[in-house]
Amino acid sequence: MFRRSSPAPSTAEDFSAEALQFLAPLFATAMRLTRNRADAEDLVQDTFVKAFRHAGQFKRGTNLRAWLYTILHNTWRNRRRDASRDAVEVDSEQVEQAAAGAAGGAPVETPERILMRSTLDADLQAALDELPEAFRQAVWLRDVEEFTYAEIAEMLSVPIGTVMSRISRGRRMLFEKLSSGTAPSGAASVPVVPVTANSAGSHR
Amino acid sequence: MKPNCRRICDLLAQYADGTLPDSQRGEVQRHLDACPPCRVIAGKECGARQLLRACADRLRTEPLPPGLRTRCQALAGEQTTTRAWLRPSMRFAIAALLILLVGALLSIVTRQSDALLAAQLTADHIKCFGLFRPTEGKTLDAEQAQKLLSDRFGLDVHVPPSSGQEDLSLLNARTCLYADGRIPHLMYEANGQDLSLFVLEGETRAPAELTAFGHHTRIWSRGGNTFVLITPAAEESVADAARYVAAEAH
Repeated sequence: MFRRSSPAPSTAEDFSAEALQFLAPLFATAMRLTRNRADAEDLVQDTFVKAFRHAGQFKRGTNLRAWLYTILHNTWRNRRRDASRDAVEVDSEQVEQAAAGAAGGAPVETPERILMRSTLDADLQAALDELPEAFRQAVWLRDVEEFTYAEIAEMLSVPIGTVMSRISRGRRMLFEKLSSGTAPSGAASVPVVPVTANSAGSHR
Repeated sequence: MKPNCRRICDLLAQYADGTLPDSQRGEVQRHLDACPPCRVIAGKECGARQLLRACADRLRTEPLPPGLRTRCQALAGEQTTTRAWLRPSMRFAIAALLILLVGALLSIVTRQSDALLAAQLTADHIKCFGLFRPTEGKTLDAEQAQKLLSDRFGLDVHVPPSSGQEDLSLLNARTCLYADGRIPHLMYEANGQDLSLFVLEGETRAPAELTAFGHHTRIWSRGGNTFVLITPAAEESVADAARYVAAEAH
């Protein structure tokens, strides 16, 4: 979480220095959003251009880190909309189908056994990258960046209930991907267990 | 799924990361003890959460691209120079300046915004040539580039074609990162040097020439659009090509 010993950055220079502390984690987050180094770099640079330009709008005493992540996600959303690529909603639909079709009763691996695998970091990153965007964002912001549900709702511009259900389902999908080894999404021929279609009620 | 299971599953996100109030936590625990299907789901959620927390620090340490930090610091520098004018201690000075030197101040502001534009586009020039240089000998046809600009940006711009006389080749056309990716970037090679032409649609600026990050920037407007040409500074070998591009682009 964001720690600050002094009350707030008092000058523009302090503000910039403090904002730049978050460059590395912002870049890692941008990598998970864009899944591409060049686009991630563009996105982070654009985020800082906006942050510095609108520094006056940052409310002192509030969380600078959360503010920067909000700008990053807004910028990404605008870009996606401008490029009119497949939108978040499409992702969600795909997942409804995927979740209804294949999930559940595969022999459950324990987190400990997955942790033992030497390639875990790479596996985890690959599994995260395979998640549909809406779920990847929510899980990353909660479990890697440890933002609160309310902060994530603000960043992604969706209701808290939606954030929770995306986190839930994202985690489950991630765990299933990891326990099924390298099987690509949807290819696993595991028995269908009806309980996976829960918590969709609050989703959009 | 039973209604009770659905309700419990809605609480699993908070159950897995330990943010559920104690009262509800006990209820979820009791349900999970009695309901194997929900227990499997909860196991997955808690498992994923545990794994992500265990690896969070490593996941967050993505190696930064070379130069990204420097460029972001440079962006901060540009903005703090501008913002310094807004500090309370400067207000009196600004008021006095406004009264006495309105004309001079206007020209400073214009130059500052040119400097910011030059710095931003130079950073993009360096980055694009670092990352998106086409394979040796590969060039782009000017008509193709023109079609791309009109399809993607709705821009009707004459793209200066490759020219043997100036030893100029059009390499690539892509989207610039600034202004939310709405600025077209034409990448050329002239005499072995990198040369960039950017088009700012529907914007008019006074002509200007300046230097940023060791690169020469030339800004001019024609036909309601602004063109920005970037070449390595102190490179006489690209002067002819630069003149050619400036004359051709419209």
